[in-house]
Amino acid sequence: MTSVAKRPAPVRHAGTEAYPGQRPPTTPPRSGASHGPRARSRAVPPKKESGRAGARVVLAVIVLGAVAVIALWWHSTPDVSGLGGWLTGAGEVLGLLAGYGVVVLVALMARLPPLERGIGTDQLARWHAMGGRYVVCVVWAHALLIVWGYAVEAHTSVTGETATLLTQYPDVLMATVGGFLLLGVGLISMRAARRRVRYETWYYLHLYTYLAIALAFSHQFADGAAFVNNLAARFWWSAMYLTVAVLIGWYRFVVPLRAFARHGFHVIGVRQEGPGVVSVYIGGSRLDELDAEPGQFFRWRFLTRSLWWSSHPYSLSAAPGKDLLRITVKDLGDHSQALARLQPGTRVIAEGPYGAFTATGSGRGVVLLAGGVGITPLRAMFATLAGPVTLIYRASSTQDVVFADELDAIAAARGATVHYVIGSRAELGGDPLSPRVLRSLAPAIDEQDVYVCGPDGMASAAITALRAAGVPKRSIHRESFEF
Amino acid sequence: MRRVILTIAGTIAGLVALLSFKSHVPTVPSASVSTTGGTGSTGGTSAPSSSPATVPGEFPMGSLAGTLTAGETAVSGQVANTAYGPVQIQLVMRNGKIVKVAVLRQPANTINDIRINDFAFPKLIGETLAAQTAKIDAVSGASYTSAGYIQSLQSALDNRA
Repeated sequence: MTSVAKRPAPVRHAGTEAYPGQRPPTTPPRSGASHGPRARSRAVPPKKESGRAGARVVLAVIVLGAVAVIALWWHSTPDVSGLGGWLTGAGEVLGLLAGYGVVVLVALMARLPPLERGIGTDQLARWHAMGGRYVVCVVWAHALLIVWGYAVEAHTSVTGETATLLTQYPDVLMATVGGFLLLGVGLISMRAARRRVRYETWYYLHLYTYLAIALAFSHQFADGAAFVNNLAARFWWSAMYLTVAVLIGWYRFVVPLRAFARHGFHVIGVRQEGPGVVSVYIGGSRLDELDAEPGQFFRWRFLTRSLWWSSHPYSLSAAPGKDLLRITVKDLGDHSQALARLQPGTRVIAEGPYGAFTATGSGRGVVLLAGGVGITPLRAMFATLAGPVTLIYRASSTQDVVFADELDAIAAARGATVHYVIGSRAELGGDPLSPRVLRSLAPAIDEQDVYVCGPDGMASAAITALRAAGVPKRSIHRESFEF
Repeated sequence: MRRVILTIAGTIAGLVALLSFKSHVPTVPSASVSTTGGTGSTGGTSAPSSSPATVPGEFPMGSLAGTLTAGETAVSGQVANTAYGPVQIQLVMRNGKIVKVAVLRQPANTINDIRINDFAFPKLIGETLAAQTAKIDAVSGASYTSAGYIQSLQSALDNRA
């Protein structure tokens, strides 16, 4: 549950439904899965399939880039001779790969719409986390190999060579500071440390990676054998850094501010959904232009004295309306507690929509599998998905169930089914989501698309059970809060 | 955990494979000689020259033409272009013997180039003064610089007549 605490599920709200306790959306009712024709045409092609293909394309591009970087080293290196040559050569290759790797890592987090929609923020974040660990290791392997290799080549000691490198080689000292910053960020992000660090702390410490990258940039050209005599390499390398910097500036700053100006997001009201669970209603104009879909989320920055400095991802918990969005947040951190005290009229910067957890439109029928607060995006999808829909809602106690009235009303209106699986494992006498239970609740589950959203432990267990129940991997769609 | 080990092992294997495909025996005659240089000059009178440098980092740089004593001749070798940059040396001859070697041009693109020069040139110069020919050993860790040096030295010896 700790993981969920940080980011309550992405949830959202579609045009066809009424918001309980609020005025009904002014959009005309629409049938079918999505909000506008534009959004719909995009959603209908089997999206998850294209997402997986997209993931392969992106990985292929990243690997090709790495090959090009290695080719640059190959081109600039006449030979590898002696122990010093091997060590220095390995250090140079790793240094170039590290310089390239940090750019890739940052680009993955640049909120590029094709990546966000096609691959999904949670997947990108997993790549970023895995790649981040790898690149930090590569950076340090580079540093140590270069020191050792230069020491061998110059016939000096490793400690003496370290001092020489730090004091005499241009910009190496700066780059070393950057290396330590990266190491620090990497350590803070490790799972064990993450649990003890507040989300906000972790987030802001992460911004030091930009400083680290800036500090390490100049030593690449000043000391890198691949660049000293190669103007073209310097040009393209700089262009790569610059492009990613511009993309970050554009998609993380300019686009959200433009959306803020155009749509005028503001808090309309807050509603208590259950113990520690609040819904926040956010109004704005021309929201249909956002092309948000049920299952997606926004990063929300509430402009109050205590909240303006951090943005948090929360799913839409109802299908997005033309002038109204809803998020639902479980009280798991300081930030989510503060949301309960939001005043109507509070201005909001909303960044998004993000996420690839959206309808595939395969038309085979859908099973939604929610765990705890993971109901939020599924709640939005439940109201808007086309075709037969079964919702299985797992919660540890009746009090933890939110939206029960809404879910029952939606189920009645569209002839869908909701199964509540409530109680602890002991109370239920066995695995609450065993393959057998899943098949009895949704007999056609192995032929349908299944969307899973919940705490990581529950989601992983559920996916194992789904596979055992005969659901093919490609039919299982998962949204993780862990990013 | 297994993935971590696989990743590390894969990276190391990839690096070793990559590096092993590079040539390991530095191709010594790869330096090409350009046609500039190769000039000789004769000196006047001055103080006797100091003993040849053997301390790392200490070797004559720049033309010695202005420091020649009576009976000495300075002969410049041709510029040898190596993968890391040009090498050109100058000999000071007296009675047909090499008494001094100066480095006119050396690779200096990176600090590492300079440091390699600093330990390679004193050794090469020492070898030259001992051997009095261009048949000297390359310095390990400085094979390209050695190749360029030997080539420029040979052209200077060819020029001296």
